[in-house]
Amino acid sequence: MTFPANATKHLKTLALKFGATVVGVADAAAFDAHAPAKHRPADLLPGARTVVVVGGAQPRAGDWVATSPWLLSTMGTTERIQGVGRRLAQAIESELGYYALFVPPGTASGDAPFLSLMLAAELAGLGRRSLAGPILSREHGFMYWSAVITTAPFDVDGPEDEPACPAPPCREMWAREGTTPCLRVCPADAGGCLGGRLDGDRAVRTVYDAARCNTRVHTHWVGGFQKVLEETLNEPDRERRKMLVYGDFMTRTLWAITYSSTNIAQCFECMRVCPAAHGLKEMR
Amino acid sequence: MAFFRLDPDVYARHKDEVLRLCNSFQTIERRGLSDREIAERLGLDERTVTEIRVVAERDCYPLDEWERAIEFKRKACAEWSALALKRPDLKEP
Repeated sequence: MTFPANATKHLKTLALKFGATVVGVADAAAFDAHAPAKHRPADLLPGARTVVVVGGAQPRAGDWVATSPWLLSTMGTTERIQGVGRRLAQAIESELGYYALFVPPGTASGDAPFLSLMLAAELAGLGRRSLAGPILSREHGFMYWSAVITTAPFDVDGPEDEPACPAPPCREMWAREGTTPCLRVCPADAGGCLGGRLDGDRAVRTVYDAARCNTRVHTHWVGGFQKVLEETLNEPDRERRKMLVYGDFMTRTLWAITYSSTNIAQCFECMRVCPAAHGLKEMR
Repeated sequence: MAFFRLDPDVYARHKDEVLRLCNSFQTIERRGLSDREIAERLGLDERTVTEIRVVAERDCYPLDEWERAIEFKRKACAEWSALALKRPDLKEP
């Protein structure tokens, strides 16, 4: 059976119908130059030819200006876009008869993912890495991602030429103050996670402290739970142990980790201040 | 087969090197190495490197850093709300 000529177009139409904001296809072999062994599409699905990537479910303007950081950490979920990925995997197998592996959103070991969804989005031409880290689409800014590895030979998209980062206001700020909104809000040399510079019109990230970023992105999550558990086990006083276990930190953490595969982001501060991530649309 | 337990001495000996080589502290000069690549470089087996990395990822910062994370987010979020909504009163003192 030959591969239908309109299969890629049909797949993309389906993705948008299922709720994706953007959809692209990456060449599975293109990961080899960037990802280490065990984290490439063919390591997860032998014979993989392409990776279908969908993005969307981005926060709304009201979410970005909310006065509580806990709002975005509750609403910042990949669940909605994962549903699109799962439905696409089902469609590829049932309609075309090719293997389709929905990339699990969790981690393969420790904090390492099965497959980098950011790399997948970049290789599928849906955006480019920002100075702060997340992939930004020039049209839609910050989004959540889901991917399907498949043996189907869909037409592939190349990476985008022009990145959304640095945005014009950031270039102006760099010229004026020698910093950017993301670097100023979370500087690695002052207790934050990021270091970098603008080299002409190009953003160059020089430092990223993923371990500290983890304490912010996953404050009330697996890492936080382990830290408080360790503290509790080391606490000899029964009443003091109770304060740790019943306290707000542990309670909030347990709420969060019961949704651990979907409620995955709890810090948005580098993206909140990023003009390319969501702009600052005037709302009434 | 016995449950795999990482020897604390092995962890202490290799923790810093594994963290330096993996993806936990990224610089633009190189991509982080996989556990297998680190194992080959350090002459350890891959499972041991995985355990060292996973433990070290949690062990990098003390619990106080999680409290600092909460304060950081509260302050940064309030500052943005104040700026975006042109409401200086929303800024934390």
